[in-house]
Amino acid sequence: MTHATVPDGTITFHEGLPGFEMYREFLLVSSPESAPFAIVQATGGDGPSFVTIDPRLVAVDYRLELGPAELARLGSEGTGPLLWLAIVAVHADGAATANLRAPIVIDPVTMRGIQVIAAESAYPIDHPLQAA
Amino acid sequence: VLVFTRKLNQAIVIGEGVEVTVLRIGRDAVRLGVTAAASVPVHRQEIYDQIRQANRAAVAAGPGRLDEIVARLRGGKSPASRHSA
Repeated sequence: MTHATVPDGTITFHEGLPGFEMYREFLLVSSPESAPFAIVQATGGDGPSFVTIDPRLVAVDYRLELGPAELARLGSEGTGPLLWLAIVAVHADGAATANLRAPIVIDPVTMRGIQVIAAESAYPIDHPLQAA
Repeated sequence: VLVFTRKLNQAIVIGEGVEVTVLRIGRDAVRLGVTAAASVPVHRQEIYDQIRQANRAAVAAGPGRLDEIVARLRGGKSPASRHSA
């Protein structure tokens, strides 16, 4: 699982994200000020935005394989590096968790993205974020 | 809602190229086989619902709120020291 650099431009999620299926076009916004977090933001202004983080910064040995169906939906050859992002949630009590169960994966070549919805996963949907 | 009665090894076809076949009938569960193009996502509903719920809980209200969240995460609980950028 090599790491891709953050692409500029619109990323298309053909199926949207669960809960926000009507939004298909997203931008990835990151800056030295926001690192290690990146914002995944629907284009157009009134759509959803998510705070995300590289899951390997949260779980060092994080490893998840994509199946042929997922690679097909990304339009990926399966050879180039992909960008992996875990969605961060900040809860009412201030605790933050990262969704390692269903990461966003972006192919910076095809500029297509998916949220991985695997039937089984060793990773939790609410992994606590804390200082390493 | 369309309701079908299917026997073992019988199938229904949805649209073009999506086929759902009854593979096994148990007391409490049926085993289904789904044949579809790789580009067609097929999910167990309860998993999809769980992720939908997590996404809705994670969505931040407005860019101002996002900056605030990022600033707070960086200040306290972020693993920023391990980031190489």
